[in-house]
Amino acid sequence: MRWKAWLIPVLAALAAVPAAGQTAPGHYYDVDKEVRFEGTVREIVLEPRYKGTAPFLVLRVEESGQKAMVTVEISPSWFFGEDIHGGEKVKGIGSLAEGPDGTRTIIARELQFRGETLTLRDKRGFPSWQGGPKGRRGPKRFGGL
Amino acid sequence: MIIRKMRHIVLLVLVAAVSAQGATVTLTFHQHATRNLFQTNAAVAEQISAFSLAFNQDISALSLFANVGYSAFHQTGGLSYFAADLGLDHLVPAGAKSAFYFAAEGAGAFYGREYEAFSTLGGSLTGAFKTYLAPSSILRVQWQGMYASYADSLFNFLSHAASLSIDKYFPTRTTLKADAGYGYKYFLHPYVPVTADPLPEGGAVVMGAGGGGWGSGTGAGSGSGSGWGGERYEGGFGFIPRAGEGGAGIGHVSVSVLVAQGIGDVVGLSASAMRQWIVSGENPFMSIEEFYLVPNPSSDAFSWDGLQLTGRITLDLPWSVEIKTGYTYSDKTYPGVESMGLDGLPLGIVRNDVRHLFEARLEKSFRFFSLFLAYSHIDNASTDPLFHWSSGYVMGGFQWNLPARRKGGLS
Repeated sequence: MRWKAWLIPVLAALAAVPAAGQTAPGHYYDVDKEVRFEGTVREIVLEPRYKGTAPFLVLRVEESGQKAMVTVEISPSWFFGEDIHGGEKVKGIGSLAEGPDGTRTIIARELQFRGETLTLRDKRGFPSWQGGPKGRRGPKRFGGL
Repeated sequence: MIIRKMRHIVLLVLVAAVSAQGATVTLTFHQHATRNLFQTNAAVAEQISAFSLAFNQDISALSLFANVGYSAFHQTGGLSYFAADLGLDHLVPAGAKSAFYFAAEGAGAFYGREYEAFSTLGGSLTGAFKTYLAPSSILRVQWQGMYASYADSLFNFLSHAASLSIDKYFPTRTTLKADAGYGYKYFLHPYVPVTADPLPEGGAVVMGAGGGGWGSGTGAGSGSGSGWGGERYEGGFGFIPRAGEGGAGIGHVSVSVLVAQGIGDVVGLSASAMRQWIVSGENPFMSIEEFYLVPNPSSDAFSWDGLQLTGRITLDLPWSVEIKTGYTYSDKTYPGVESMGLDGLPLGIVRNDVRHLFEARLEKSFRFFSLFLAYSHIDNASTDPLFHWSSGYVMGGFQWNLPARRKGGLS
């Protein structure tokens, strides 16, 4: 029974944690507003996006065939996990939000570049990232695939 | 006892997963089949079922991560093990183009009685810095320190590794990357005392620490011997330590280069070469062994000197299908480890393995989960005949992101 006693404060702390992860109203992944995007990365920045979370990696992408720029929000820790460069061509799927001033932001769910696809969220918009430099965990096999 | 403790950890992670809003929770299941679990010329077939549950939650600017897993070995039950890790990481921006990353992690793995020597508790600290020197060029510096304590103290170690990398992306969709690294591993109890018993013909019988390792040796501060091929770890035969005293640390430096090329939207190619040199010390064990999926403490990135060449092709196909194939050639020498004949006599040469590894992986993503199937084939030629082997490995499984409370998850 003793182990249950120490679980109580731990569970209480966990129950309190979500309050720290609240996000700005109206800024969430809306599966009904999914769009495809394609273009060239012109700028890469780290920006605070949500209260109480680490800053996010954000790409400014010049859309193919247009002069318009769109902001693509990637993920927090992904900054260390994968290397993307200015000038790279990317395409992907994400949820589009338009600000009152007409600025367009896409919360990316899937990003394709260099012939590979990175899944940032599942098809309901739930985050798939974890880690930092260590990336995936679990039993190690040989090789890297 | 261990199982009972692990139940509590699993319960804690599950409760945390259910209660946490905005958390990332991932459930994975992998099924493996192999004809050579211990990677020797005496092939032992095995099937392994591996489950894991990973949890990631932002707490203000910190991120809490936890992972619990269980790998069930169906034939060699003693190798079945629980593994768990728990840690915090923190990303600190330094301007809009740079960031520091810090992480602290505790980890443990718990085996059954037959392989209890591998049970371990430890921790690691990681620090990294990444910056865009220009939009098309990235500089990264990373350091990691580790400590691990094993049930058999022979394996206890402190280690650290540092690396520096720089890359450049060109408009031709070519990426060039260069990397330099340094690592040092210090074994806290690498040798057992020299036996006072008379030497038998050809060497010494050495009783191992922590429950009876034994093998043949050639005297204080050095030794030789083939491994036991994994199976004989069972029943109390531990690993083969060397006798006497000597340098307990092994250090290396490495350099690597990588070229990656995108072709259209579908194909990604990459080729890399790595050269590693042991610059101080040697392996303190008389044998280096690798088991499939089991982190054998005698074998890791610190144990070899040599060359590794890798080529990969990735196909990003319609309907969320991805195919990856790869080939790796490696030529590794293990300083301090002498090759032995199958008759148990030393061959007078340091062990060297030349390996050809072929890999292929097919992955299909669905709305709620992804499925994959992978195959690997290895041809391993070694100067120690026990480790001259060839075998195939099949793996399949799924990964499922468990639903959190709010539609759309975090953000």
